[in-house]
Amino acid sequence: MKLYKIMVIEDDSVIQGELQTLLNGNGYTTIGVENFSAVTEQIKNEKPHLILLDIKLPGENGFALCSKIRTFSEVPIIFLTSCNTDMDELNSIMLGGDAFITKPYNTAILLAKIASLLKKNYSTQQSEQIIYGNAVLHLESSQLEHKGKSAELTKNELKILYYFFKNGGKICSRADIIEYLWDNQLYVDDNALSVNINRIREKLAGIGLTDFIKTKHRQGYTI
Amino acid sequence: MNRRRYWKNRIPFLLTNLVCMAALTVFLLVCGNSISAVLLILVVWTAILLAGLFLTYWKRRRQMRELLDMAGQLSERYLISEVMELPEQAEDQVYYQLLKMAGKSMLEQIGEVQRERLEYKEYIEQWIHEIKTPITAMKLLCENHRTDRTKELLLELEKTNRFTEQALYYARSEHTEKDYSVRKMSLSQVVHQAIADNKYLLLQSGVRLEVEEMEDTVYSDEKWVRFILNQLIANAVKYRSGQPVLRFSTRRQQDQVVLVVEDNGIGISPADLPRIFEKGFTGQNGRMVQQSTGIGLYLCKRLCDKLGIGIVAESSGQETAISLAFHINCLIHEVQG
Repeated sequence: MKLYKIMVIEDDSVIQGELQTLLNGNGYTTIGVENFSAVTEQIKNEKPHLILLDIKLPGENGFALCSKIRTFSEVPIIFLTSCNTDMDELNSIMLGGDAFITKPYNTAILLAKIASLLKKNYSTQQSEQIIYGNAVLHLESSQLEHKGKSAELTKNELKILYYFFKNGGKICSRADIIEYLWDNQLYVDDNALSVNINRIREKLAGIGLTDFIKTKHRQGYTI
Repeated sequence: MNRRRYWKNRIPFLLTNLVCMAALTVFLLVCGNSISAVLLILVVWTAILLAGLFLTYWKRRRQMRELLDMAGQLSERYLISEVMELPEQAEDQVYYQLLKMAGKSMLEQIGEVQRERLEYKEYIEQWIHEIKTPITAMKLLCENHRTDRTKELLLELEKTNRFTEQALYYARSEHTEKDYSVRKMSLSQVVHQAIADNKYLLLQSGVRLEVEEMEDTVYSDEKWVRFILNQLIANAVKYRSGQPVLRFSTRRQQDQVVLVVEDNGIGISPADLPRIFEKGFTGQNGRMVQQSTGIGLYLCKRLCDKLGIGIVAESSGQETAISLAFHINCLIHEVQG
């Protein structure tokens, strides 16, 4: 899978650092900007796939920068800002920004926006399946395959399994799973999660995967 | 104009006339004029005097009435000196000058107060933008370095953010003309965003969410509606009871789309219901639950009024439903086909 390069143009060093940590943790490489007077040169050299741009910057503001970037590049730009007035939003769109997210941003929404913009602009054939052990999770058809047999999954079940696969081997606490589901607009509560897990286990048993999801007492689940 | 007072004010002038009359009578009689001639002179004098007095009285009365009417019609009465004509009488002109001076200094004061208010508002907005940077930084720090305590910290951060937003919208709600743009927005998206804004609050208070499928799009300002929903969610959590359930649904009603937010909390008593949108009103529930400020719903109502959204609260014992009615403009739909 190709590694996307994301440039973070943000003057607050803590936010810049943490954004990079967040993005690195989600499989992107990042470039931070330290010298704000030579941003355009840096963009020309590094050729990032996407730019996160703050509006209030030392020297030139984000809007001016954005229109400068647009003279030589069509790279998708997401404005990240605390100025959520209408004029700012309108400006950012007029100057060629692709999205406008206000601080304090919800990281799930930010990551989803980044993913969708990258997908739209670079339309690479991302793998639509994840493999863990002998099991293959097909995201498009929402099916789980194991040794030639496969089981249909509901939306909730697919997301839960996706979370397990992504964290393959690590222990996932119930609270973290629920939070992840909420980020995906599936508002599942504790009881419903138990019901879902049980149903997944039944389905897994049906295709020969017994004891795939293990319960860790007082900690959560793991695969 | 007070009639008795007017005539009372004329007493010195009348007395002077009487004294003059008496003096003239004595003089004429001493000069050997007949009494009838003297009487005739006195009668004519009195007649002319009274006619003159009444004429001036009527004229003054008319003038004063006109001025009062004029002031009555003005929406800003302190501007009367700008509208009225320069009076003829010397004393009146002094009052006119005084009025002008008073009006001018008043306008200066008002201008200053307005400028100060605007500056304060701008400062508040700027401050809020600045405080958002550390809030964002804290949020990212929490999310990147998860420990047992981060969820609680994130909950507190959500609260901090909600209060800052409240201050921002309070400052903005006075000058809304500048800051809203009505655009097409999807109701489901704004509901999901509002839920995401309050994720930790809802998760930690164990609220069960029921979000119906919503396909309607309406024309409104997304960030304002999101703010309103945030307030409603915070209220539902604050006044929860038992196993809390929060429901979001939409329904069509003639030319309106109504977004309903229902909870099964402690409800609102019928006596309080008509007043919940008033500023500073906390009611029976507010006295029991601390942290009731009586600002949240007041702001919601105010923003709704500006955006043309109908906001209605219903409550029957254990349930509260707040509905937001968005108008569907048939013209826009027809144009867009």
